[in-house]
Formats: sequence, structure tokens, C-alpha cells
Amino acid sequence: MKRSSLVGRYALISPAAILIFVFMLLPMLLMALMSWLEAGQFGGVKWGSYTPEAYLKFLFDRDLSDHLVFNTDYLSIFSRSFQLAGITTFLTLLTAFPVAFYIALQTPKHRTWLMLLITIPFWTNLLVRTYAWILLLRNGGLIDSSLHSLGVLNTPINAMYTPIAVQIGLVYAFLPFMVLPIYTSLEKLDWRLLEAAYDLYANRWQTMRRIVIPLAAPGMVAGCILVFVPALGTFFIPELLGGAKTLMIGNLIQQQFGVSRNWPFGAALSFALLAVVLMFMLIYALRFRGKGSLTQ
Amino acid sequence: MINPRNPLWRYPSLGVLMVAFFAFLYVPIIVLIVLSFNQNQTATIWTTFSFDWYKNVLENPNILRAAQNSLIVALVATVVSTVFATMAAVGMAGKAFKAQNAFNGLVGLPLLVPEIVTAVASLLFFLAIGLELGLTTVIIAHVVFCIPFAYLPIRARLEGLDPKLLEAASDLYARPWQAFARVTLPLLLPGIVSGAMLAFITSMDDFVITFFVAGAGATTLPVYIFGMIRTGISPEVNAISTLLFAASLVIVMLSFFISQKK
Amino acid sequence: MTALANAIVIDNIGMVFGAGLGAVRALDGVSLEIGSNEFFTLLGPSGCGKTTLLRLIAGFEQPSTGSISLYGQRLEGLMPFERPVNTVFQSYALFPHMSVAQNIAFGLEMQRKPRLEVQKIVADMLELVQLTGFEARKPAQLSGGQQQRVALARALANRPKVLLLDESLSALDAKLRKEMQLELKRLQLETGITFVFVTHDQEEALTMSDRIAVMKNGKLEQIGTPTEIYDFPRSRYVADFIGETNFLTGIAEANGLRLPDSQWLEVTHSRPPGSSVDVAVRPERAQIARDTNGLNAVVREVVYVGTDTVVYLEIAKEVFRVRMQNHGGAAKMVSVGDQIKLVIPPNAVRILEAES
Repeated sequence: MKRSSLVGRYALISPAAILIFVFMLLPMLLMALMSWLEAGQFGGVKWGSYTPEAYLKFLFDRDLSDHLVFNTDYLSIFSRSFQLAGITTFLTLLTAFPVAFYIALQTPKHRTWLMLLITIPFWTNLLVRTYAWILLLRNGGLIDSSLHSLGVLNTPINAMYTPIAVQIGLVYAFLPFMVLPIYTSLEKLDWRLLEAAYDLYANRWQTMRRIVIPLAAPGMVAGCILVFVPALGTFFIPELLGGAKTLMIGNLIQQQFGVSRNWPFGAALSFALLAVVLMFMLIYALRFRGKGSLTQ
Repeated sequence: MINPRNPLWRYPSLGVLMVAFFAFLYVPIIVLIVLSFNQNQTATIWTTFSFDWYKNVLENPNILRAAQNSLIVALVATVVSTVFATMAAVGMAGKAFKAQNAFNGLVGLPLLVPEIVTAVASLLFFLAIGLELGLTTVIIAHVVFCIPFAYLPIRARLEGLDPKLLEAASDLYARPWQAFARVTLPLLLPGIVSGAMLAFITSMDDFVITFFVAGAGATTLPVYIFGMIRTGISPEVNAISTLLFAASLVIVMLSFFISQKK
Repeated sequence: MTALANAIVIDNIGMVFGAGLGAVRALDGVSLEIGSNEFFTLLGPSGCGKTTLLRLIAGFEQPSTGSISLYGQRLEGLMPFERPVNTVFQSYALFPHMSVAQNIAFGLEMQRKPRLEVQKIVADMLELVQLTGFEARKPAQLSGGQQQRVALARALANRPKVLLLDESLSALDAKLRKEMQLELKRLQLETGITFVFVTHDQEEALTMSDRIAVMKNGKLEQIGTPTEIYDFPRSRYVADFIGETNFLTGIAEANGLRLPDSQWLEVTHSRPPGSSVDVAVRPERAQIARDTNGLNAVVREVVYVGTDTVVYLEIAKEVFRVRMQNHGGAAKMVSVGDQIKLVIPPNAVRILEAES
């Protein structure tokens, strides 16, 4: 390659690269640094005074005489977050796989239209879609009032502000994220492989288990990451549907920059969340190297 | 090509699942839209059809200002991110070179890092460098996370481009910039348009990052809606949500038909 | 060479892709001259370097060593858009967003030809390739053969000094390919432009070319007219690649070869007695007979192929094919298992160069 053309290519790439570097990568490094600083009294940090306090806070609290006391409050928020995000991933995978499979089986024209139907919610404001569930779930809402008028229920449904409401909201929010990558990997499937499997005495279920699922695995794993990661970090879905008793990590982080004013703790929580995410990415990258990327 | 009518491909009860799936996906949205035209105050029991809530929304100066902010941010973020993304995609095309992997990683960051982490990091960064929170900080943050959304369709389009076409142009006496203007750019245009549309929607819809870096003066529509929902259900929220849904729908459909046209 | 002016002189071209252990030598010391107004074909299997050579002439690649001149002008350092040669690509590379007319006009517009002249040339070209009326169509609305002709018109519109065609017929089906072969030959004669054609199809090469260069592993194996190449292949490789051939190996004696089964094959040669000699015999040049002098052979298979019958014989533990035309009921003459005589006229035997 000629030297001049290489310089030109660097010049073309650099504006985007510099922007992301300065306003994405540097801030994350700064955040990592801040998580090791002492919290200022009314928000902010004390520069220069380093302490692991923010990370100790994950598991311990300080009592009046400044001793560390084991505290499970945050631990239970973490475990709830992982549980909700995990169940969300499982449920969306369970639904999305047959849906993607069904769509991949249609004629090209039908496929495009069905995928459009899935893409529309994907690009609709998540806040709006979450809000729609309030209309359905709340007392006097659509589900409550229909159950009452059918005589199934006499008492209010009290579905809002429960973990179940949050769970429904999470599944609803991230379902399209699961369908799209699975569909992408199934769309490329060579259907003659299925014919070959049938020809070799595999029944539908065996064909599914031995041929389709292994070949769709990269898409399924990509889908799982695309659902699990944002579900773990979500904050307005539990905020709107869950209320105070179903806090997730996202809410906890947000509180540190709002009412609690503990920036280092917020930074430490964010950094821990980032570490979990990066770990998943790394596993994915190592396991499915070269078999398509998450960002496609 | 497979024939979907062939019984070989008919898996039992998939059809039923599909109906349930799309019902689950669309019933909440449809309920929202229907109720936005409902006259009743209580917002969930149907009485009569009316445009009242839309009128309220369009007369509310706070909503209008938030909408204006959203549009300004989205337009600036779309233009800047699309231009940079197009440049980057063109720079990335062709023979492999060292910095490519680094850039691929960098451009993937905004997609892979949880929004709330980006939000926290950006907030801390802006405060640390002493940039006052406002429209500027919102626009900077939006440009950054819009770049990958604009970049990916353009890059995909460029990858689908036959490198022989550029050789052909060169063979037919086109200088590099002529080949770019007459062959690459026109063929890239659908990718650029859909990239710009995705960037626009992403920016218009963003709540989490904006919520952190907006400060008091730069409330956007999603941030404003969040505030409204938290203070209680009101039919106005239905109306404005429907409008936002309609806007997304229009853009997605446009993007869809452009991509169909090739 | 003849008195014809040379359009292209290729001098000791070498081409290496990559570096170090992964380096691939695509061309190795290739020198050849292509005459003006010639229909010249580069023939060989995939990976033999023929396409690389074409791309070097077009300017898409720069040679590692050696030089190429066009009518005396050295081409080194000239970009493709600075060379008065044009290419018809294997997949045509028609601009999908431009109409047929816009595609054809592209090169002329790039050269800033006046509008009226461009319009006239486009019309002429459409007529030349018999696509008048198709100017507004997009490439996607054309059949493979029509796309092929647009690609030709687009290249020819520039009146290039040399037209390069890269496997340009391989995407067409057999019948269309036959038609386009004749069409290409007609265009070449009408325009008087030098054509350099790359193909792996020996039949195509024989049909159209004035001269053929057979390539192997980045080197030239033989250059000659189609008859020379077919009738006087220099090596086993060329004989095998072009048409059907039988090979026999024997030990040289005066005026003939002793085959491994001790039978005697009469042929004039200049090899030292005792050396091992490979010879080639085209199937249609040998005959089958009974009750005459000839080599003893056994019929192993008789295959009817319409115009001809191919008889597979076993001689000296080797398979030997004889192709007989079917008129006169020749096919009925032999059946599997027959002991027959194989008659090979001495002037049908080609002595091959020892394999390097």
C-alpha cells in the first residue's frame, strides 16, 4: 500500500476515533480512578486521598464506632439484578428462538415484513414501551378491570411495584434484542442440511437439537449478551414498574448521583457492572472468534 | 430456496406461538394509542374519542421546549455522527492495516457498554473538565453513541460493494476522487441514509445518558416524559408517547423502504 | 515475430504476493510480445498467473520485477486511469446505479469528451453490440448475455489500444458462450483493436485466438497459433490441457520406440538411444483395424458420443482412446474384449519434451 493512501485512511478514521476515545474511553478511565477516591461530603470527590472504601461498601457498612459490619443490603440488590436479568435472558431466548425459526422458514417477502414488525418495537422509545405496561398492569388498568368485569377477581390485582411487573417489563423491553441476532444466524442456514438430516433418519426434534441449534448458537449467545447486559444495567424499568422494593444495580448507581451523593460508590458500582459485561464479552470473543460479531 | 408450504418444514404450534408473540409485542402499544384518543381523565376507561390531549400537549410550552431540545440534539448528533461515520467507513474499507482492530473495538464500545455506565462516566468526565451540563454536553454524548449506529449500516453497505467496480471506474479513466463521487458515494447512499436515520432515532429516544448529562436547562422529550410518568399517569403522557411512537414508526418505515429499494 | 508492430511487449515480468514464508510467486520471468490487431489468449488452469498478468497490463497491480510496454511506451508507474487500455471484467463490474447508456458513457465523460460526441459514440456502441433500445435499462434488468455486451461496449467506447478480457464468457451458459465467442471475434475484426483474452477454457481459446499462450505455475509453457498448440504440443502439460490426448512412454531406439510390453512404435526422433521418451497421440489420429500390421490391443470399453464413438483400448498396461467418426457404422466394428490392431501413423506421434 502506498504511504500517502495510508495517511489518508488514518485521517478519515481519526475524527470518529478521537471522539469515542476522548468522550468514552477516557471518561471510563476517569470513572475507574474516581472509584478509588474518598467521597466528598456533598457529592464530588476528594482528589488525592485514595481509599478502597467504595468497594468495601459493596459488602460492609460502618457502624457508629467506624468498625466494618457485614451488610447484605447491596448484596441482595446485586443478586436480584442478576436474577432478574438472568430470567429475562432465559425467557426471551425461549420465546425468540422459535419465533426466529418460524420467520426464517417463510418466503423472503413474508420474512421482510415479519422482521419489520419486530424492528418497529425495537426502535420505539423504551420509556414509552415501559409506560404502556403501567396502563395495563396498574389497579384499574386494562388487566385489572377486565379480570374484574369477567368476575375472575374481586380484589385489586396489585400487580404494579412487584418483581413480576419488573420481570414483565424487562422481557417486553428486550425481546426484540434476542430475535434479531438469532434470526440473522438462522437466515444464513443452509436448509439442505436439514434435508440431509431428515434423509439420515433424524426426526424434527433431533434435527433441531443436532443441526439447527448448534448452527444458530453464535446468534443465540449474541442475543443472550445483548439482552443480559442492558437488562442488568437498566434503571428506569424497575424505577417505573418496581418501586422501592425491587431496586436493581442501575437504580443504586443512579441514587449515588442523586439523593445519596456518593460519587466514588456510584463509580465503583458502574465499574463493577462494566467488569461483568467485559467478562461476558471476553468469553464470547474467545468462544466464537470469527463467527460474526455482536455489533452486526 | 425452501418452500414453506412443504410439510417437511411445518413444526406444530409454531403458528400459535407467533400470534401470541406479536400480540404480546403490540397489545401494550395499541392500548397506549387507543387511550391517547380517550376523553376520560382516568386514562384507562374508554369514553369518547377526542383530540383534547394532543391539544394540551401541543399547547404545553414545557413539552414544546423539550421537543425542540430533542430535535436540536438529534439533528446535530445525526449530521456530525453520520459524516464522521461515513469518513471512518471509507477509511476502514480496503486492504487491512494495523489500526483497524483498534478502531473496531473503539466503535463497538458505545454499543456494548451498559448505558448507565456510559452515563456515569460521561457525567463525571464533564464535571471533572469543568464543562457545564447543558445542551452542549448532551450533544457531545449523543454524537459519541450515535457514531456506531450510523457507522454499521454504512460499513455493511461498503462491504457489499464489489471492489471490481472501483477497478472498473479506474480502468475507465476515473481518478480516485471521481471514482468516489461517481461510484462509491451513490452506491453508499442508502447505507448513509439508513445510518443517519438510525442515529436520529437513537438520539431522539435516548433517556438514560441524557438524564445524567443534561443538567437543568437541557431537558429533552424522553427526560420530560420520565418526569411526567413519575408524578403520575396522565392522558397527556399517552398522547405524547403516541406521537413519539409515530415518529419512530415513520422513520423505521422510511428506512425500511429505502433499504428495500436498494 | 512477424513484421506486425508489437502492441504489447512484456519483458521478464515477475510478481510476488505477500512476503516471507507466505509469499506466493504468481508470475515468474514471463516474457512475450503481443502483436497489433491480434486476438491473443492467455490460457491455463486457475492459479497459473494468467489473470495476474492481465491485471498487470491494466495497471491494477504493479509488477515485482520486469516491465511492460504498450506501443513502445513503458507502463511502470502509470495508474489504470492513465493507461489507454480497457478491461471487460469477469463479473462485468457494471455500475448498478447507472443505466446502460450511463455505463457506456462513463469512460468518455471521465476523459471529458464533448457531450455530443459521447452521445454519438454511445449510440454507435449500442448498435455495435446490438443493444439499441436498451439505453435506459439498469444492469439488473438485463440478462447475463446482455450485461456482457454492455461491459464490452463500455470498454470499447474508449477505443482502447488494447482490450483486456478477464474470463469474460465464463459466467454465460454453454449456448450463449458459443454465440458470444463468434460475436467477440467479429468485434475484434471490425474494430481492429488488440484483444488480450484470459480463459481456462481450451475450446474457447482454440475457437477465437490468433495466438495462444499456455501458462503453468506462473510461467509460459508454449506460445503459438491454435493449430500449432493443438497439433504440436511441446510438453505433456500442453498436450493434456488442450483437447484429448493419449500418452505412451517408450525407450528410444533407431526410428522408433520400444514400449514397456516390448511392442514397437515407429516414429522419427532425434533422442539418444536408450533414453525414455514420452509421446502424445490425438485419439482421432489413431485407427483400429484387424488383419493388418499394428500394435496389439484389447478393447476395454466402447462409448457412443453421438457424432463419434470413443473406443478405450488397453495397450502396454495403459488406456488408449481412439475416436472414430460414426458415419459408415464404424461403431459396430468392435466390441468389448476384442483383440484388435491399433494403427498409429508415424506422423501422428508427437515427441514431448522431457518433464522438468
